[in-house]
Amino acid sequence: MIDFHTHPFLVKEFIEDDPELLNCIRNVFGLYFPPQPLKVFLRELDAAEVDKAVLLPLDCSTSNGCKIFSNEQIAKLVSWSPRFIGFSSVDPLNKNASKELEYAVNSLGLKGLKLDPSIQRFEPNSKDYAYPLYYKCRELKIPVMIHCGLSWAPKGKTGYSHPLQLEDVFDDFSDLTFIIPHFGWPWVRESIMLALKHPNVYLDTSIIYSGTPKTVFEQVFMYDVGFNVLEASLSSQILFGSNYPRQDIKRSVEGIKSLNMSKEFYTNIFKNNSEEILTKGKLV
Amino acid sequence: MIIKIKRFSVITNQQTELINITQDVQDFIKSTSIANGVVFIISMHTTTGMIVNEGIPDLESDIASFYEKIVPEDLPYHHSRFLAFDGQMGINATSHIRSTLMGFEIFFPIEDGKIQKGLRQNIYFVELDGPQERIFIVQAFGEKI
Repeated sequence: MIDFHTHPFLVKEFIEDDPELLNCIRNVFGLYFPPQPLKVFLRELDAAEVDKAVLLPLDCSTSNGCKIFSNEQIAKLVSWSPRFIGFSSVDPLNKNASKELEYAVNSLGLKGLKLDPSIQRFEPNSKDYAYPLYYKCRELKIPVMIHCGLSWAPKGKTGYSHPLQLEDVFDDFSDLTFIIPHFGWPWVRESIMLALKHPNVYLDTSIIYSGTPKTVFEQVFMYDVGFNVLEASLSSQILFGSNYPRQDIKRSVEGIKSLNMSKEFYTNIFKNNSEEILTKGKLV
Repeated sequence: MIIKIKRFSVITNQQTELINITQDVQDFIKSTSIANGVVFIISMHTTTGMIVNEGIPDLESDIASFYEKIVPEDLPYHHSRFLAFDGQMGINATSHIRSTLMGFEIFFPIEDGKIQKGLRQNIYFVELDGPQERIFIVQAFGEKI
């Protein structure tokens, strides 16, 4: 099983000697829980029976003057455990963003790009600065996760993260793999529409915004989307993601499994779809 | 009278887990040189518990399962919401409720330098929202040998 959406922002080994990083994690990203040893993260994966986790950093240098884990820090974490798959992040408003991305992938070995328009404060459909990054991702054959929907971060502006802003991007880069996390909640229908139309667009399951995991997944999967739509049309485009540490990994897994969907659906979202993205890079 | 205190750190493995800390407490009492007094064992958390029971693995498993059953995960808890002060979802109401059923402290008398407990009594730190790094305190006070 692969968790495609984790933030290693409370790993004590990185934070205890770096008070500025901790300030950024708290003031920009809004995580106030005490840092925990790396061993806790690994044991949480064990408890949830998750084999590997995608680690997502965020470079918000222009908007907030800091990086919530640099690409180098993510690469260091990956070197500590074969269970980690590191993504990079660059600041689209930085003129050197494409070069930094190339370095992160080719020299640091990172496997994808994470962007968050709400915290990084950029227009994801800008042909001036966002498109060059997508061209670079196409060249590097890496997937791109672009935050969509509600931003819990105190410095996040959700208005930048409406999934419909990505329609032109998905049309223009139909050979590049994109991931809309959180099912784009609350714009679930818009996100579903985009994924139905674009086979290169994936959705991750980190959608627990209120209620127990079971009730949230019932609401979104059963009522907002419909089991039949998920099973028939999107089974190969959904990835399990927990959004750890905002959400508990084990309880997220149990919430999804409680829905009693088909075995094939679970195999796809917990394993096959993630592996396909990570092994093939550019997919379609 | 002397008063001694020690903080113990433990990294737990499971969401619900019983950890036998009897030997830690006995070793601490020995190190204090207290002959007659009392020892308190206190958890520093709101999603853990302290209990005394027989030290058998099947009972440890039964107790963990029972607490999970009597406080079901799927009830509509008010706590199941985003907690802005934490930056996390509060999907652990069950852990808090189970904790209130156990309590967070244990105490035993000390006599002749030894903890006075029944032969089958073991002291357990109980994880109810793991895995996490946890702290419990053991404090003893009494007359010196």
